[in-house]
Amino acid sequence: MTLLHATAISKRYGGLMALSEVDFRVAPGEFVAVIGPNGAGKSTFLNVLTGLTPPSAGRVLFDGRDVTRAPTHRRIRAGLGRTFQHGRLFARLSVLENVMTGAAIRTDRTESQLRALSLGMLDRMGLVGEAHRAVGSLSYGQRRMVELCRALACGPKLLLLDEPAAGLNLGEVEQLMARLTALRAEQELAVVLIEHNMGMVMRLAQRILVLNFGCRIAEGSPAEVQSDPAVLSAYLGEGYGNAQH
Amino acid sequence: MRRYHSLLAAVAILALGGLLSLVLADYRLRLLNVSVISAIAVIGFNFAFGLAGLISLGHAAFVGLGAYTLAILSTAFGWSPWLAIPVAILVTTLFAGLIGYPLLRLRGHYLALATLGLNVSFTIVVTNWISLTGGTNGISGIPELRLGAFAFNDERRFLWLGLVLLALCAAFAVTLQRSRYGRAMMAVRDDETAARMTGIDVTRVKITALCLSAAFAALSGTLFATHVRFVAPEDFNYAHSIIYLAMLIVGGEGAVAGAVIGAALLTFLPEWLRFLGDAYLAFFGLMLLAILIFLPTGLVGLAAQLRRLGGHREAETTS
Ligand SMILES: Nc1ncnc2c1ncn2[C@@H]1O[C@H](COP(=O)(O)OP(=O)(O)O)[C@@H](O)[C@H]1O
Ligand SMILES: [Mg+2]
Repeated sequence: MTLLHATAISKRYGGLMALSEVDFRVAPGEFVAVIGPNGAGKSTFLNVLTGLTPPSAGRVLFDGRDVTRAPTHRRIRAGLGRTFQHGRLFARLSVLENVMTGAAIRTDRTESQLRALSLGMLDRMGLVGEAHRAVGSLSYGQRRMVELCRALACGPKLLLLDEPAAGLNLGEVEQLMARLTALRAEQELAVVLIEHNMGMVMRLAQRILVLNFGCRIAEGSPAEVQSDPAVLSAYLGEGYGNAQH
Repeated sequence: MRRYHSLLAAVAILALGGLLSLVLADYRLRLLNVSVISAIAVIGFNFAFGLAGLISLGHAAFVGLGAYTLAILSTAFGWSPWLAIPVAILVTTLFAGLIGYPLLRLRGHYLALATLGLNVSFTIVVTNWISLTGGTNGISGIPELRLGAFAFNDERRFLWLGLVLLALCAAFAVTLQRSRYGRAMMAVRDDETAARMTGIDVTRVKITALCLSAAFAALSGTLFATHVRFVAPEDFNYAHSIIYLAMLIVGGEGAVAGAVIGAALLTFLPEWLRFLGDAYLAFFGLMLLAILIFLPTGLVGLAAQLRRLGGHREAETTS
């Protein structure tokens, strides 16, 4: 069964092919990582999947429906969730209100249900003490966790995370990994993780897609991708490949 | 706790306004009526500008559309003004919804310019559609509002009616602002893309905010028409839109209390500063500049800052 099925996605920016004919599938509950050097097209790929950027060619099926032309909010209501590479919180809302905005995706929830659900989510992520603070007063790592809470409060079936560990310290990265793992143990949640932190990718991902210059250059289990010569030279660099031998 | 806030706003308006209605002289009461009528428009403007971040400079056109609809229905067609009020609000809200679709594709400065254009167009239309609007002569003879034998035909009586409506509007606005709808509007203002990513239909939220602001504006316009009992094009020209904006910024954008305080202050200020003569406009400009630079959250923001400061002092003395 396939939850997300993207076929032959291309995206052209002027003369630049940010994505060329990328095929990608995610099964329900699966954890897939997308890696690749800076500028490889990873964020662009998420933009296409979430409807922020229309693809130049290709199709996106989500949960059995063709959403290629669906506006973003419809895709989110259908069960897609996302966080951003450069953190995007609602600056004038408190931490709790940010998460409540996500929880409000279900219109049948009362105000007190929204509040309880969001506080529960913050509690899970170790942020309940910050619930009434302004988001501007949080640390960088806390902000990223609040954004994650907000996305989770929408109740996604598939969560797209764009470099969630960038700018986090080692302890925060450990926490993030532990919480993602705990969450997935409780509910069926598929994750697509874009990440440069290879330790995190290798520990969490069941499958890895490697992009370079907008093209899929490899896909497979962490072990397969790790020893793929194309990946070693393109992404990890020749130096890394040599050091392995 | 949250239900308190709306009740508190309503009680505060009724208590303070009611008290003033008993002690002030007629001329001051007239100014208070103007404040109350403006405050309703500015509370509406706060939905569009303060919450959803729509930079609109055409709010006076919605006030005018409400006022003229009531004026025309109650004079040319002989309707009861009570019946004309909801119809005027409905007409104005529908108009805002229709015009919102093309208008709200624009953002920032472009939206400001387009709404300013809307206001100028409104003035041109009501000035030149003489058979319907009376042109520059305006429409006079608008009937007074009355409940049975009780006519709201002097300043004190009209103020009571205005205060009740303002209290209801404020309570509604406070409730809405603290609900999922208010949060969605603020989310759209803060970050449209992130708002979409929480399932918010950004276009719909913006249109809703514009329609709400137009509905409040129309109510304000119908009150204006039944208070002065005369409407003319210059009552609703773009300068009034800029005054609504100034009222909201001085009082504190994003806050219902700010809308009310700003409306009252900017109505009374010219009278208090009458001794300045022509220098008043220079003073007004400088005051606005100072508030924009030093108090971007307006007087309501200043009050919050002072409270925090007072809190710190107390904490220091007790420790
Ligand atoms: N909106 C845009 N307009 C033009 N070029 C873009 C745009 N977004 C991304 N690009 C280009 O597409 C390529 C892929 O970018 P991106 O998806 O951000 O890479 P990654 O996330 O893998 O680092 C880059 O060369 C980038 O400059
Ligand atoms: Mg990126």
